[in-house]
Amino acid sequence: MSYNFEELSFSEAKDLLRKWRENNERRSDDVIELWTSVISDNVAKLGNEKHLVLEQVMFAALDCHAYHIAVMCTCMLSYEFPNSMRVLRYDAAYNEAKESYGEALETLDKIIKADETNAAARKQRVAVLKSQGLINEAVKELVDYLKKFMSDVEAWQELCGLYTRQGEYARAAFCAEELLLHQPHNHLMHQRLADIRYTMGGVDNMELAKSYYCQALKLNPDNMRALLGLFLTTNNLLLHYKSSGNASKRKELWKLCQWAQSAAARRQRAARAAPATPDLTQAMLALAIHE
Amino acid sequence: MAELLLDPKIRLWVFLPIVIITFLVGIVRHYVSIILSSQKKIELLQVQDSQVMIRARLLRENGKYLPRQSFAMRRHWFNNEETGYFKVQKRAAASQNPMTDPGMMTDMLKGNVTNVLPMIVIGGWINWMFSGFLTTKVPFPLTLRFKPMLQRGVELAYLDASWVSSASWYFLNVFGLRTIYALVLGENNAADQSKIMQEQMSGAAMAMPPDPKAAFKAEWEALEITEHRWAVATAEADLLGTSENHS
Repeated sequence: MSYNFEELSFSEAKDLLRKWRENNERRSDDVIELWTSVISDNVAKLGNEKHLVLEQVMFAALDCHAYHIAVMCTCMLSYEFPNSMRVLRYDAAYNEAKESYGEALETLDKIIKADETNAAARKQRVAVLKSQGLINEAVKELVDYLKKFMSDVEAWQELCGLYTRQGEYARAAFCAEELLLHQPHNHLMHQRLADIRYTMGGVDNMELAKSYYCQALKLNPDNMRALLGLFLTTNNLLLHYKSSGNASKRKELWKLCQWAQSAAARRQRAARAAPATPDLTQAMLALAIHE
Repeated sequence: MAELLLDPKIRLWVFLPIVIITFLVGIVRHYVSIILSSQKKIELLQVQDSQVMIRARLLRENGKYLPRQSFAMRRHWFNNEETGYFKVQKRAAASQNPMTDPGMMTDMLKGNVTNVLPMIVIGGWINWMFSGFLTTKVPFPLTLRFKPMLQRGVELAYLDASWVSSASWYFLNVFGLRTIYALVLGENNAADQSKIMQEQMSGAAMAMPPDPKAAFKAEWEALEITEHRWAVATAEADLLGTSENHS
């Protein structure tokens, strides 16, 4: 959906910005365009929302490397809130965007020193370290953060990603389980844990991966990735049980494998009936042939 | 009994002034309390404690989605006799005398300045200034029991109970302006006196800070008796079962 920004009235632009802000949509280009074409001339008319809009535009400007806009917004905000930690954090974000990481970390340290419970500043520290490529330091920092803020779902998710990137799958699995505790009805969480277990390999992990793929499919039957994962996992397990010769287990697995295959085939037929067949089902078929 | 007739001047000089005064006092109170309010500093330890509690509760409730081993590992981490989090973390029992804490004292003082003081001063002044008037009449008959409520300051035994005296009109305003304040000042304003009155009625016991030691112990117990039943174990069978039903 594209807007003709020149034609929007002021209140429409304001509503649009609010919508994006509340839905956490990161449409930085659009925000900047709105700002330059409609809002920037009458900031005073924003009323109650002025500071929120300024913050939103500031972060959008950093995304787009439009530093003059960011500096202007930060100036306006720091003029009104001279000693605010939140405004100080924009300063750190500005330095981070300009890749002067040392100064950004310095500012963040200052914030954390002044207010120990400032979670956003601590998380931003991790982000700065991550963008520097210091993954090990970022992990250490994040673990330290999680010792204090144990029920921060985003942080667990980030740590899970970092560990996966490092190839430390056992630890990544721990984080994925923690995510599962927080959101047990989200099929993507089950799928993520299953993915990690599948990558770890070994019979026990495969069994777990199979169960969690099943759970993910139970929660959302349309989860194609989980279906593919289930198919691969059951294939792998079948190979294993072929050598160890556990007949009853093999039979069950065979049934599950068949089911996954037929479900995938059914979906493919449905997709073919609809125009524009996605390549994913094609890939599924290629995988299915060798069994 | 002959119908009473009220002087129209009473409406102009008693009835409306009371409404306006109560309303404006509420507005002023709102802004004074904004000026006086101090941002509560939360301590890191408090945050940590509450987050640990949330995590332990989640483990109890959603632990069934984890494999048995993972669940046991986490419970061990919380509950182990020697190294468990709930056993190792020693929190001071938080029941110190609030009088020894100067921060608490100033908070209490500010609360009194903004809440109790105006209520006494304005209430007393209104009682003195506008005492002894009948201001209005409720348009329905009431029983005698309502007389002390609606006719404070006018002790006439034979007066119909639906007449409202000026002092009572003030109190009706104090309690009844809440929605108007919400309209003018937005939700969660500090202008409303009736809320504070309720808080005072419910007693000081509510204001006690939560005691992390006791909370930890309760959570430890709850976690100790939690049984692990793997919810994902049946997923496979469910999946096959539903598919057979469909086809």
